[in-house]
Amino acid sequence: MTEAEVHDKIISLEEAARLIPDGSGLFWGGFGYQRAPIAFAHELVRQKKRDLTIYTCGSEIDIEIMVGARVLKRLEIAFVAIEALGLANNVRRRIAEGAIEIEDYSNLAMAMRFLGGALNIPFMPIRSLMGTDIVNKVQYRGDKKLKIIDCPFTGQKICLVPSVQPDFSIVHVQRVDRYGNAQIDGIVGEDIEGSRCGKKLIVLAEEVVGEEEIRHSPDRTVIPAMYVDHVVVVPFAAHPMQCHNYYDYDLEHLMMFHKLTKTEEGWEEYLNGYILGVDNHYGYLEMVGWERLHKLRARRPWGY
Amino acid sequence: MMVEYTKIEFLTACASRHVRDGENVFGGTGMPLLAALLAKATHAPNANLISEAGFIDAMPKNVPLSVADSRYYYGCSAAIGLIETLGFILQGGRIDVGFLGAAQIDEYGNLNTTYIGPFEKPKVRLPGSGGGNDIASSAKRLIIMMTHDKRKFVKKLDYMTSPGHLEGPGSREKWGLIGGGPDVVITDICQMDFDPKTLRIRLKSVHPGYTVDDVLDNVMFDLIVPDEVPVTPEPTEEQIRIMHQLDPYGVYLGKGG
Repeated sequence: MTEAEVHDKIISLEEAARLIPDGSGLFWGGFGYQRAPIAFAHELVRQKKRDLTIYTCGSEIDIEIMVGARVLKRLEIAFVAIEALGLANNVRRRIAEGAIEIEDYSNLAMAMRFLGGALNIPFMPIRSLMGTDIVNKVQYRGDKKLKIIDCPFTGQKICLVPSVQPDFSIVHVQRVDRYGNAQIDGIVGEDIEGSRCGKKLIVLAEEVVGEEEIRHSPDRTVIPAMYVDHVVVVPFAAHPMQCHNYYDYDLEHLMMFHKLTKTEEGWEEYLNGYILGVDNHYGYLEMVGWERLHKLRARRPWGY
Repeated sequence: MMVEYTKIEFLTACASRHVRDGENVFGGTGMPLLAALLAKATHAPNANLISEAGFIDAMPKNVPLSVADSRYYYGCSAAIGLIETLGFILQGGRIDVGFLGAAQIDEYGNLNTTYIGPFEKPKVRLPGSGGGNDIASSAKRLIIMMTHDKRKFVKKLDYMTSPGHLEGPGSREKWGLIGGGPDVVITDICQMDFDPKTLRIRLKSVHPGYTVDDVLDNVMFDLIVPDEVPVTPEPTEEQIRIMHQLDPYGVYLGKGG
């Protein structure tokens, strides 16, 4: 193909969020503090999405934001809290209201569910979960949460977890070219499997680079363009979380967020200020302040 | 000369002694990570510190706040992903020791990190398993670290997130769990281990300044108490000095105490 024949996949953050109908299921990328697609969560909130289901291993303030703003109805996850700071306050309140349902798995179980989805296999076997309440206590999946069987080859007990092929995969990366070749620096978490399991893949990237740069370091291209449907270029997309080699987490902002979410009023103050009180992601960055953002920039050789 | 220490420093030093040189260790974050780093800086220089997010053979210069923190990256020998660490390495049977904490523990060392209160109408949502269930299922040995509070040492868990010795002898085998289960429970007043015959929790040592009765008053299950209960060794000055070098800003050591 010549360059002209290759579809340019770059769309705006607003356009990308508009593609997500209410009630959709999303694989949610990033792991812990790393490469969390916060800007996308903000835009889903601004567009008042409802009844979404999130599939991920462990997400932190991105889940808090979407649960707090009543964007999410269901979560299939292994972990939600703000590491080092404390429990997920918005999640706790929405559970008490009966506004969300959580189906609990482990990190390996979720990663294997994404791997199964990516491989187009209906389930994957794992050696975890057995003997515990993750098996016994089910919220809404009924007998489709998981199954324990006797292995047909060894006769040993083994746990089968259902694969996931959600409507969309949302993944945040460091750099991408306009065709969608995406490169991740640092750990990938579960984003290799996650990016390939969704029916459509939206990649958020800190920066767009030329095709030559991708072809100069193809070993870093962990998501080739053939998987990618849409590309969104968003600087500081993970703020206040971190993006390896680009910027560190904003601990002060995280602590402020966690403190405010201790009450519904505090959370609403944050929501109405930082998310609904701005027109778009750049408005958010303005509000955080460019000087502050600049101070978070990663230093070589540390990457944070 | 008397060494002065806080509860957190004691817990960290005590836990670090359970890491042996050359072992593959899942350290996570917080006190367990500090304990693993301390072990590496003292008696176990060849311990291979792994974070489930994908960092292998890590030697962070600053303490990470998250298992995925970039602070884990600099100096590690490989940065891969979760299928690598929890799949190939852990489920592959290659982890010698994993650290876990919990909000509740029962007398077989089963752990709750998911809900306080009834499942149908929980009072508190805790983080959930994360990699905890996987580590408890498949690590050869489990070190459990908890601050001591009577309400955490319960007869029956509100929710069993991660398997300890389940219902006792034979039950881990029944479910084909490849790991050995909990080896030791370390709190800020005592150490507990498990009776090899019944796999029930047993007092191992009490920390200086505490008595066996202090421990018995602060658990809600039956604790096996051997005839002789030694006093837990105190941290050395070297251990305290090094752990503060590892956490110069008191990210973990500064809390509580």
